[in-house]
Amino acid sequence: MNQIQSIMGQMLAPKYLAWLIDGLWMTLLLSAIVAVLATLLGIVIAAARSSRRRCWSLPASGFLSIFRNTPLLVQLFFWYFGVSGLLPESSVEWLNTVHGVALGPYLKLTWPSFELLCAIFGLSLYSAAYISEEIRSGMRGVAPAQRLAAAALGLNRWQGLRYVILPQAIRVALPPLLGQYMNIIKNTSLTMAIGLAELSYTSRQVEAQTFKTFQAFGVATLFYIAAIALIETTGQLIRRKQRLAAGAQR
Amino acid sequence: MKSYAILFAGLTLLSGLAHADKLDDIKKAGVLRVATFDGNPPFGFVDQKTNKIIGLDVDYANEVAKKLGVKVELVPTNPANRIPLLTSGKVDLVFANFTINPERAQVIDFSIPYFASGQQFLAKKGVLKNAVQIPELRIGTDKGTTMETTLREKYPAAKVVLYDDTPFALAALRNGNVQAITQDGSKLIALLANIPDKEKYEIPAFAISEEYEGVGVPKGETRLVNALNDTLREFEKNGIALKIYDKWFGPNSKSPLPRLFKIGDTRLSQN
Amino acid sequence: MSMQFRVLTDNLPYLLWGAYPDGPLGGAALTVLLSAGSALASALLGLVLGIALSLLRSWPHLLLTMVLGLLRAIPVLMLIFWTYFLLPIVFHIDVPGVLSVMCALALIGGAYLAHSVHAGISGVRAGQWDAGLSLGMTRTAVLRYIVLPQALQMMLPSFVNQWVTLIKDSSLAYIVGVGELSFVAAQVNSRVMIYPAEIFLFIGLIYFVLCSGLGLFAGRVAAYFQATTT
Repeated sequence: MNQIQSIMGQMLAPKYLAWLIDGLWMTLLLSAIVAVLATLLGIVIAAARSSRRRCWSLPASGFLSIFRNTPLLVQLFFWYFGVSGLLPESSVEWLNTVHGVALGPYLKLTWPSFELLCAIFGLSLYSAAYISEEIRSGMRGVAPAQRLAAAALGLNRWQGLRYVILPQAIRVALPPLLGQYMNIIKNTSLTMAIGLAELSYTSRQVEAQTFKTFQAFGVATLFYIAAIALIETTGQLIRRKQRLAAGAQR
Repeated sequence: MKSYAILFAGLTLLSGLAHADKLDDIKKAGVLRVATFDGNPPFGFVDQKTNKIIGLDVDYANEVAKKLGVKVELVPTNPANRIPLLTSGKVDLVFANFTINPERAQVIDFSIPYFASGQQFLAKKGVLKNAVQIPELRIGTDKGTTMETTLREKYPAAKVVLYDDTPFALAALRNGNVQAITQDGSKLIALLANIPDKEKYEIPAFAISEEYEGVGVPKGETRLVNALNDTLREFEKNGIALKIYDKWFGPNSKSPLPRLFKIGDTRLSQN
Repeated sequence: MSMQFRVLTDNLPYLLWGAYPDGPLGGAALTVLLSAGSALASALLGLVLGIALSLLRSWPHLLLTMVLGLLRAIPVLMLIFWTYFLLPIVFHIDVPGVLSVMCALALIGGAYLAHSVHAGISGVRAGQWDAGLSLGMTRTAVLRYIVLPQALQMMLPSFVNQWVTLIKDSSLAYIVGVGELSFVAAQVNSRVMIYPAEIFLFIGLIYFVLCSGLGLFAGRVAAYFQATTT
């Protein structure tokens, strides 16, 4: 028992646990926003990439190539330190001041901090590059007859994509898509380098204040594992429902 | 059964030997591993011509190593890694503008202070005139420093953004992502001297705390601490401390600062 | 809004190979070495674990699956913190920065590759197993002489793709002071101060060249094996 005590030390004070929970909340919020934006962008890019017209498919390939062959860290540094250095001072000041919009007496929407904006922007572009490839595989998994049937019904390419192909593609691609969402949660840890107070940042903060390295990193790691496990279980449940539904149709 | 007892006794003896004195270890290995900054002029930064780390802390480390008769191996660090590097045994000493405070003193040991400064701010001209404005601003500083703690204690309403190291905080200041950064006054003066467009920035003439910097030592290494303290006092007596100070902060340096603190001075206040 | 590129030419040697030969190897050269070492280690680890995953049954299999799942649920940054700071405290061994980052990257890469190897082994048609067993070979012999060679051919592209991922993940070593490309770029940026966009654009370009070059190589390898098997 003493061995374990000497390694693990005492538990963290509630104040520091609260910091970690704040960090977890930021991680989850960022991941959720990025997941939505990256999926939307990913759909657009997947559609463009699989188009037969080169004016769509070439830029899409270029986008994919750039964002998949450079590290996320470098991309984040570029957006936060590089680009904001190139932008004119007035726009950077505007981006950094807190604009609030009051919706009624109790609700107030505030403009997110520049760190959060940058993190959302950078992480969404990066994740969209990977999500679009999963959606494209999903599209390939849809029977070609579907596209022909849609055309026969008089739907043009975009309508066919929107009402027939994409819903099926996303259903097929759901497992790897969930895998990408799990990657998004893990990738949020990099945003600590641009000053976003998410879970890894706060675990460093707690460690620097309390010097309880093991406890600070341990709790943060447990939080990450819990978040990932949540998505994994959701995935399993969805897959089971899909299998049962498919079985019932036979 | 007897053989197990002998084995057990032997192992405990060995483990006792394994925790030999750090000072002896350093002398035996012939190398003093020191953590220093690599992006914080003039305490520790990379020289453009030689691509080696130089600075005030590096000079001190070199002198201490010379006194011990060993070579120096520099390990670049950012503020937040200083204590983990010591506690995990990756370095023997930390010479990195390391402020002495009671919380840190519980996990590591400090030598007597060899440098003193105060926590100040760097901002664009006209933005920050006195301390009451602090809560209205976005302030950048480094993770793992006393700056963050002091700001949180004295100005809890201030919006603080933490970066991995001072250069990142400075970049954020220059881009306008934060309106001021806070660090040791001595570091800020040197930083200001290196900024290409320094006329746009200023250091308002107030400090919100006093900082005494000492050498970080692993906990419990009393012989090493005592050797260090004696060496530091000797440096003051034979003028090495003054020479090092003048090289980086003297009247002919890029960032002149009068020397108010000498090694061995009693602290001006008790916090 | 003009961008100056002189800062790049002035610092090119430092960015490409650090302070070598006057100091330790760094920069892009260290990135290549670090990722190559991690790639090799993770390939070996993935091979061993993948074979174990295919051969084990019941609770050892479950335990292994859980451990691998755990490794894939931790962000790389956190695992680097663990191997760099906590491994020495727990096991009383001192691991230098480069090795601990390699360790962390190899563990995560190995966990992903283990599943690829497992899938590759499962992908070899059942008939191959039956044919081998009916010839009187043991399970291990079938694995070694019949199944594994075919499985590895299918998996080689994913091994190379893992190397590409590792080149990108090596950028995280900056957080523990390992002097690879992102770290030295940040050092140069903090010294020079006024050209962040140019510097990060340039190292983005270096990573791009490294990764896409490797990616093309992976494609050629896949095409070669496609051509030689029916």
